[in-house]
Parts: sequence; structure tokens; C-alpha cells
Amino acid sequence: MRIVRKDLIPNGPGSVKMIPVDSDDLWFAYNLVAAGDSVLAVTVRKVVRQTKSGGKDAERVKLKLKIKVEALDYDKEGSALRISGKNILENEHVKIGAFHSLEIELHRPFVLTKDVWDSVALDTLHQASDSAATADLAVVLMQEGLANIFLVGRSMTITRSRIETSIPRKHGPAVARYESALNKFFDSVLHAFLKHVDFNVVRCAVIASPGFTKDQFHRYLLLEAERRQLRPIIANKSRIVIVHTSSGYKHSLREVLDASNVMNLIKETKAAQEVKVLKEFFNMLSNDPTRACYGPKHVEVAHERMAVQTLLITDDLFRNFEIATRKKYVDLVNSVKDSGGTAHIFSSMHVSGEQLGQLTGVAAILRFPLPDLEDIEM
Amino acid sequence: MPHKVNYEDYDYGDYYEYEDYDDYDYDVEDNGEAPTPASESKQETSKPRVWSCAICTYDNEEGISVCDICGVLRTPLVNNNSKTAGGICKDSGASIMAKSLFASLPPRTPKKAVVIQRQNDGSLMEEGNNCHKLGNTKGKFHEFHEAFSSHSRSKFNIAPFKFDVPSPDDLVSNGLHSSKTGSKGNFLDLKSSRVSSSVSEKNGSVTTRSSAKTSDIANALMPKDKQDSMDERNSLKNEVRASSRISDSSSLVMAKDRLGTIDEGNRSNHCTVDDSISSSVDGTESSSHTGNLTSNMKNMSLTAKSGNSTNVSARKTNSHTQYKPEKWMLPDKKGDRMTQLNLAIVGHVDSGKSTLSGRLLFLLGRITQKQMHKYEKEAKLQGKGSFAYAWALDESAEERERGITMTVAVAYFDSKNYHVVVLDSPGHKDFVPNMISGATQSDAAILVIDASVGSFEVGMNTAKGLTREHAQLIRSFGVDQLIVAVNKMDAVQYSKDRFDSIKVQLGTFLRSCGFKDASLTWIPLSALENQNLVTAPDDGRLLSWYKGPCLLDAIDSLRPPPREFSKPQLMPICDVLKSQHGQVSACGKLEAGALRSGLKVLVLPSGEVGTVHSIERDSQSCSIARAGDNIAVSLQGIDVSRVMSGGVLCHPDFPVAIATHLELKVLVLDFAPPILIGSQLECHIHHAKEAARIVKITSLLDTKTGKVTKKSPRCLTAKQSAIVEVALQEPVCVEEFSNCRALGRAFLRSSGRTIAVGIVTRIIEDQQ
Repeated sequence: MRIVRKDLIPNGPGSVKMIPVDSDDLWFAYNLVAAGDSVLAVTVRKVVRQTKSGGKDAERVKLKLKIKVEALDYDKEGSALRISGKNILENEHVKIGAFHSLEIELHRPFVLTKDVWDSVALDTLHQASDSAATADLAVVLMQEGLANIFLVGRSMTITRSRIETSIPRKHGPAVARYESALNKFFDSVLHAFLKHVDFNVVRCAVIASPGFTKDQFHRYLLLEAERRQLRPIIANKSRIVIVHTSSGYKHSLREVLDASNVMNLIKETKAAQEVKVLKEFFNMLSNDPTRACYGPKHVEVAHERMAVQTLLITDDLFRNFEIATRKKYVDLVNSVKDSGGTAHIFSSMHVSGEQLGQLTGVAAILRFPLPDLEDIEM
Repeated sequence: MPHKVNYEDYDYGDYYEYEDYDDYDYDVEDNGEAPTPASESKQETSKPRVWSCAICTYDNEEGISVCDICGVLRTPLVNNNSKTAGGICKDSGASIMAKSLFASLPPRTPKKAVVIQRQNDGSLMEEGNNCHKLGNTKGKFHEFHEAFSSHSRSKFNIAPFKFDVPSPDDLVSNGLHSSKTGSKGNFLDLKSSRVSSSVSEKNGSVTTRSSAKTSDIANALMPKDKQDSMDERNSLKNEVRASSRISDSSSLVMAKDRLGTIDEGNRSNHCTVDDSISSSVDGTESSSHTGNLTSNMKNMSLTAKSGNSTNVSARKTNSHTQYKPEKWMLPDKKGDRMTQLNLAIVGHVDSGKSTLSGRLLFLLGRITQKQMHKYEKEAKLQGKGSFAYAWALDESAEERERGITMTVAVAYFDSKNYHVVVLDSPGHKDFVPNMISGATQSDAAILVIDASVGSFEVGMNTAKGLTREHAQLIRSFGVDQLIVAVNKMDAVQYSKDRFDSIKVQLGTFLRSCGFKDASLTWIPLSALENQNLVTAPDDGRLLSWYKGPCLLDAIDSLRPPPREFSKPQLMPICDVLKSQHGQVSACGKLEAGALRSGLKVLVLPSGEVGTVHSIERDSQSCSIARAGDNIAVSLQGIDVSRVMSGGVLCHPDFPVAIATHLELKVLVLDFAPPILIGSQLECHIHHAKEAARIVKITSLLDTKTGKVTKKSPRCLTAKQSAIVEVALQEPVCVEEFSNCRALGRAFLRSSGRTIAVGIVTRIIEDQQ
């Protein structure tokens, strides 16, 4: 995200002009814009005019509109953010109060005006503008007969492709069929790999699987690249990393991000931190269950007793359309930070955030055990 | 109603379920696509909607497109029921509901009855009512006749659908076109005397839930006397419709009544469905000269025709009690061949599973000397001389290169009592999923233990050892007979002390898994030195203290597991092979029923029907396969891509459920990480594996008593037993454990280890 102009008071009103430059930025924008804010952007609108002869004449007019946000719609695969609401900027074509949907696209500037720029919003803005922390990672997560290709960005993980085939068991003399089925499977994965993995964008590509499938595929990939003279692969041989996981399903992506050789590559990024913190939480839960809690109620009680050391919370909760709810969570994050704890806001577009989301979206590692939490209804 | 006393028990017990059906009816009616029957059934609970005729202003039923009094078409026409020119929607209703039931039956039946029935209505309806009124009048009738009690019982059971219980078909068949009370009474009497006896008998059988008995009665019902047969068939047909309606709606409200308690009333109705089908099929020719009967038959074909679209999602819940196996399916008493025994070989990595299997095959002549020589040479060449026997099973280049088994290998040998199917499973940690999907079909197992110092301890190690995990898995596959083969005894000089200490250590653990001492056999052996495999050992050190059986004898002494011969065909697909000619073969163990070539089978979850072309067992074709056989079924008329491993082959009329949302009763294994709501796991059910997530932890159970100790706990920790709900990423074929054991077991794994094993207690329909 490029910030063009910033004119705001922390915890007060203000406006920011920004230009999204990659698909992650749209996600940030999605998290920034809330109902009640106003957004100014250039847009195209079909305007119907009465001609002199009495007929109607429709024309597409490019104009600048400012709308008060009522609804947001984010399209992950298509990289688009649609904001709809009522127009508040008088215009010769569009009346005040007329509904309009703005589509925020890459490389198109827009101005966001908020009544209150709270700390979480400022944090998001800061993160969005920090281009150093990008981690573009392509992950081929596979097991025999199943492969997923993911792109792990700064703030989200996108499933690019899923390949599923049936691979027969070895079967007496028919063992050749097993080999050929496996080769065919690798071939389709290779195709998807070539299609979705652009080495100009990603920092490295990870091949992950349980067992030896990853090595087999790696060998196949290099052989095929040599045979078919696939330049991008030959040139980037060294950027392909192999990681062991326990399965080929999406949730094993966690293990990929946790692997030491991948961790080194993405150390400073949000995705890596999230994985680490969540792992800590689970470790705590299995080793000392009284020092970990989850669920809004439990976390709140724990916080009242100043017990929260690390707060884990997904950005989903901030996207709440009820301002009071959002404020409640913002206050929670702030007061945890004030009382010396740390707060991690998880992107719900990453595996770890997804998992946290399923755990009600908020969890905490506690400073001291609170065994009586168990008895409080969730 | 006093005459229903006998059946009150379950009538009342199931009452709430009818409400479900009622609900369904409302929905349908609102959609405006299911006509009169719905409104009829609704009649009891709410006032039917009416539309006013433009000419005579008579208030007609919503579902009828023509005025009942003057015959004027309704404007605008709501129900475009092409079939029901007369405007009676009863039959179209029947066709909708029959969709699921008759989808796979050969077409019979017609539209004529519709018209005739319309006449009936006309004559009956002095008050200008329509067909449902007919049902009502009849309903009163029933009360006159005590003998009819059982019939009205069945009517009560299907209360919301009583529209067709005494159905106009009866009238038609008896030629009572202008039905007056007296004449109708006669025919009802006639019928009821017969039907009541049969129905009540059936009830008896239902209460005992004995399917065999039901089918017996079905046979008893097969009529000799023409008049009788006609009556019975009619009455049965009524029930066919009624129950088909029920099954249809029950499929839609499956979420609610999936609890494994399709009410018994339904069950009895289902029985009659089948009976009537078989009886009508058999008897069609003989009695088709009875004109009115043929019209009945035609009536059926109408329903069948409209039901031809095989809608996979709208699956019916046929209870298995109604299934009547054909004669060829049941095993011959003479025992023309030996029973198959699926024997899984499990154990920690490098304990010698493949070598043991290879050695057994070689000793029993399944591998020729020449082949063995070849393996030995090749193994030596790769510097893995000791792997020669394992190579007989580890056939892929990858496996040989690495010296480990990766997927379950299948091999066959014959012992004295059994055709043994060896499932040689991988012992490596990463391939436990393969082991699960390959070895769930086992009936018994050999747990191979590496006796050499240090190796056994590693195998038993809680963090990395797989001996424990395998033993627990095998137990939860439903295997209760276990042979513990203490291998590599040569490495410890055949020491009795070592053997005994292993026995003590492992024995304690196996008991805690639920293996009984009596079903455990402990055998010291050495696969590499060929000691104690198929013959008694000849090494003096072992001979001096071991007096027990050799491995082969131990295999022979296993008890054959009970097989479900008389259930509908069911074969989870373990493996799919494609031949050069584009033919598909599905491999797996036939869990229930029997198969022979020419039989139609439904392939799930794709929902396509294929024909069995040939059946192979151990690469040899055979004519019939029965429950328990490990076979390869080549299918015709189905595309390769529609058959996936993890799917199921089943009887077209008895499809298994496909679900993404399950309720499981699980036991969390030792040292498992805590399971929370939202935990992401891999779920294995028979050969299917799918990513899953815990949606809800319903309750914590006492491991001993099974009683609920705590509602909605925060998390599950090791050794706890609980009821949880899981959501799967993709749908899998699954059955409740009580219905089908093979498809009702689930294994939950996470980060490379099995964390919980359990059974499917309920299939939860998605709320959409």
C-alpha cells in the first residue's frame, strides 16, 4: 500500500489517501474500511439522461464519488474489494443519497475518512504500508493422490489449485500401473505448479508432503524441467525447498511455516509469528491447561484479573459491523498492551488465523493459572 | 382408537416424527409443487388452503387445478400436472414420492387409475369435496370394522399421509365405481380379514426386529388364490405408496430422524414395500388378465416413470430389515470353498513385517524358487541382502530403494482352513494413513515385534514407537484376535527370558487396549532363519522351552469372523485399477451381501450405477463373491473418474449415506495433544480419508460406564471418552456404527499421530 497523504489525529477523525499495490493491500483495505466510514474514489457509473426528443440515453460516466459505507464485499480469488453505500458528494449526475458501489482496484487511489482512527486501524495502516515484510511463498502441499498449491502472502493464504487423483495400491504384477498413475499425478501437479508459481513474485517454493512423495516430486520436477527445458524451474532450482509434513491437507501448512528452513526465510513476517504464537498457545494448553483459555467470556474474565500475557485475536472480530463490538475488542487489545502483555492480531486468511477463528477467534496465554475458569460457562 | 391397543407403544413413541413429515409437507405445499397429498395430510393439523372457482365459486383445494363441481380450469393454473388431466393430484403426488422408491424398479403402472378415481370422487363427493374426502370417508369406514384394525393401524402410523391408505385403487380393483357404503364395507371386509392378519403378523416381526422373519412372512404373503392375491396386492400397494411417501419425506428430514431410529412403523411399511414389489413382480403374469389389476400395475409404472431420475442427493433411508437376499447370495452349506480370512500384518517400522509375509508366501509355494532367486540377486545388488523376502511384497522401486513398505501390499496364500489374504502394512510413521486405509478390512492381525535388544523398546516408546499405535488401531478396526509374532528371536539367541519380558510388558498394554487374553497368541519366531513359521522350530535353543504352535497353526486356529451374508451388497472401495481397455476395477473387501457378474451396483459418492462385469479373487476370476471376500470387481457402464478409492459399491436400493457432518463417540488415545473445538484433524473412515475439524464437543463420557460426566467441556485430553461433532471438508460415504460396522468406524489423526479412535453415532444432515 502506498500512502499518498495522511491527515489524521490518533483516536480522532481524519482521512488517508492510499493506493493499493498488491492483492494483500486490498485485504488490508477490507480490514480498514468499516461501516460508517466514507470513501472517496473515482468510479464509473451508468447515467440515464432524458434527451430532447423525449427518449432516454444511457451513458457511462467516469466521476468521483464519495460514499458513506454500508456494506463491504471482498473477493479473495479475484482480488477485488467492493464498497457500497450512499453517495454524499453532490454531483451533476448522481444525487446525494443515491446508492452506489465502488470497486477498489489495484493501483487506483482512494481516500478513506474515518470518524475515529483507533489503534487497531492505525496498526493495520502501518502494516499495510510496510512493504519490507512481504513473504510470498509458494507451497506445494501434497500426499500421494492429493496436492494443494498455496500462495502464502503477507496477510493471506490463497489456495491456487487442488489436484486429487486416485492412485492404486501396488498390486502384484500391476505395480507398473501404480508407477504410471503416480507419474500422471506428478504431471498434473507440475502443470499447476508452472501455471501458478511465478518465481518473480515468490521468494521461494516449498514442496511439502509426508513420506517420500516430496522427494519423488522434487526429482520429477527437476527431471522434467531438464527434459522440457523449463527455464523458470532450472533457473530457480535453489529456491525450491523441501519440507516434511504429516499430511497433504491445508492445515498442515502450519507445519510448513513452522519448519526451520522455511522459518528462516519468513522470520520477520506476520505469518511466521502467528504460527509461532499459536503453537505456544497449544503447547500451553496441553502442558498447563489452566494457563491458557479461549472464548470471549473466558478471555474477558482472565483480562479482568490482569492475567493475560499474550492475546491472540483474529481480524474477523474487528470487522464487526457493530461499532460497539469493534470498540470492545479494540479496548481489549489496548488494555492488554497497556498492562504489559502482547497482542497478536491474526489474519483470518492464514491457516493459523483460520484455526484461531474456529476457536471462537480469541484466545489468551495467561500469566498465572486460573483453574476456576473451567467452571465458568462459555 | 380402541382397536389399536396392540400398537400403541411405538405409535406414540414415534409421534413426534410425524410432525417432521408434516413440516415437510408444508414446505412442499408452499413451493406449490407437491399437490393434494400434502394438503390432505395437513388436514389434521391445519386448514387446507383453498381457491375459489370462477364459475360456481366453490372453494377447491389448493392442489387441484380444476374445480371439483363444475370442472372449470383454475386460472391461473398453478399446478401444471400434465398427467392428471382430471386434476386429481394424488397420483402425481405419488409419483413425486415414489421417485426415490421406484427409481430403480422396472416400470409398471399407469395413469388410468387416475381417471377412474376421479369418477369415484365425483360420485362420492356430494358435498363437493375432492379426493381427500374420499380418504376421510374411508377413514370412518375403518372404524366400523374391527377386523380392519390392523390396517388402520398402518394408517395411523403414516398418519400424515393417510390420503391413500384405503386408496381408490382398492375401489378400482373391486369394481366399485359407484362406491356406496354397503358395497365398500364388503370389500373392505374381504380385504381387511386378509390384510389384518398379515399386517399384524408383520407387526410381530417388526417388534422383534427380525428381518428373516419378515421375509418369511413376505413369502407367506405370496398368494395362490387369485382373488386373494389381488386384494393383498392392492392393499400392499397402498402401503407401498404410503411408505414410499414416508421414505421420501424421511430422506428429506433425515437430519431429524437420522438418529438411527427410523420408526418401526416405517420399518414395517418398508417391509411391505418390498414384499409387495416382489409379489407383484412374480404374480404379474398370472393375474394380469384381471383387468382392474392391470390398471393397478400400470398405475405403478407411472410412478416408476416419473421416478427414473436418479437423484443422488435425495437419498432415501431404507432400513436394512426390508432387504431379502436372493438364494444365490447365501453361502452353500456344503462349503464349496474355504473361508477367506483377511489378515493384517502390523508392527513397528523394521520389525520384519514384509520379510515375515514374504517368507510365509515362499514357504507356502506362492513364490517360486526362481522368483526368490531373482529377488535375492537384486537385493544383493542393491546391498540389501536381508531384504530379499520383503521384496516379494515391496514391489515399487521407491519402496525397494528405501527398504521400507509404503503402501499396504496384498498377497494370498492358503492355510489348512482358510484362504488367507495378507495385508502387509507399512510400519513407518508417515504411512500410518496408508496402513489405516489398507488394513481396515482385516479380520485378524499379526502384530510383529522386534525382539532384539533396544528395538522392542523403541517400538513401545510412547513418542515414536508405532507398536502401540498400531495395536490400538487394529483393535479399533474391530479386530479382536491377535497373533503376537515376536520376530528376530535369533538376535537374542532365542532367549526365553526376553520372550517372557516382552510378553509381560506388551501384554499389559494389549489388555488395556481391550484385547482379551484368550484371543491373544504369542509366538516366538525368526523370519530370517525360518524358525517356527510353518513348521515347528528345529533350533534347539527355541525347542528347549517353546512347545506352542507355529505361526501357520496359529493362523489356522483363528476363528472365522461372522459375515453379513444376508444384507445388501456393500463394498468399500480400497483401490481402483484401470485396465488398458478402459475398464475399471474396484478392489476391496465385500463387507456384506454377495456379488456376481451382471449385477447392478451403485457407486458412491458419485452416485452412478454400473454393472458388475467380472469378479476376480487373487487374480483368478470367480463367479460369486460373498461377504468377507477380498475381491477386484470390474465394472461396466461407468467412467473411471467416477470410481474413487474411499468410495463404496452398494445395492442401488440401499445406498449408504454421504455426509460431511458426523457425530462421533471417540476415545482419545494416550499422549494425544488436547482436542479443542476447531481442532483440525484428518479423519479416516474405512478407506476414505478427509480433512476434518471439530465443530463441537458435546459431552464428556465416563470411560467405564459411558455415562455423561460433563456437558460441553473446554477441551479433550488424553484417555478421555467423549461425544464430538466433526465437519469434513469433502463428503464421505459413512454409516452409523449400529447399521454398518465397517463404515461406522472413524479414526482421527493430527500432526502425524492417531489421537482418537471412535465410532459414528449419528450422521448430521447439513442445515441448508
